[in-house]
Amino acid sequence: MTLAQTLNGGLKLIPEERQDWLILLEIAADASEDLAREFGELMDEDSMWDEIVVPELEAEFSVQRKHVLKVVKKAQRAEKKEIVIAPKDADLWYGALNQARLSLEAEFKFGSREFTEREEIQDAAMRSAFLRDEFYLTLQSLILRYVSTD
Amino acid sequence: MNAVEAPAHDPKTRTHQKTDKPWQVVVLDDPVNLMEYVSRILIRIFGFSKEKAGALMMAVHQQGKAVVWTGGREKGEMYVNQLHSAQLHATLEKAE
Repeated sequence: MTLAQTLNGGLKLIPEERQDWLILLEIAADASEDLAREFGELMDEDSMWDEIVVPELEAEFSVQRKHVLKVVKKAQRAEKKEIVIAPKDADLWYGALNQARLSLEAEFKFGSREFTEREEIQDAAMRSAFLRDEFYLTLQSLILRYVSTD
Repeated sequence: MNAVEAPAHDPKTRTHQKTDKPWQVVVLDDPVNLMEYVSRILIRIFGFSKEKAGALMMAVHQQGKAVVWTGGREKGEMYVNQLHSAQLHATLEKAE
């Protein structure tokens, strides 16, 4: 996959191989739908978080996941097979990637493990998840550096 | 003309105003969110300077959590809502 900065402040992704498309499709798949409820658990009952805020957060996070999935699928079918992350969409992409990384972290606990190289991971599912996490992190860093406006 | 006497003042008596303890917005560390992102969100939500946001972000990273704002409950909830919307782990606690 090739990633390049665009002249209007965006980021262009050009998937070249089948696994490039697969990893982009995995962003939405990796993202858990439980994140909003997890945030609700951080608040006390008096705050009415579960009743008022969590549904709003669920809707907001869902929009992020759906946006990324829709853009990737549309690019797959398009003649010009590329994806442009424009500044106006930076938060949607960053949020979807963050949801995916928070879910992977919850499942595999990469942050508390010693390994840093994929060769050290014997379990295939974990190795694959580690690769995806690394890719999502790289993409997030590029969005922060080249696309986000604030 | 009668002079009005000033009310007697007992220096041993003090007025105690009962005030509610303020609430604190606490940002919690997590192994996913990028440090640069956390700083940017603190600037975006609270209007902190880059230096203050950076210092609070480092406190979250090194100490596991940091109080980023203190005040009334309602406003604190609004800030936590915004932090959750940005996918930062945050909670509201009553000040000690």
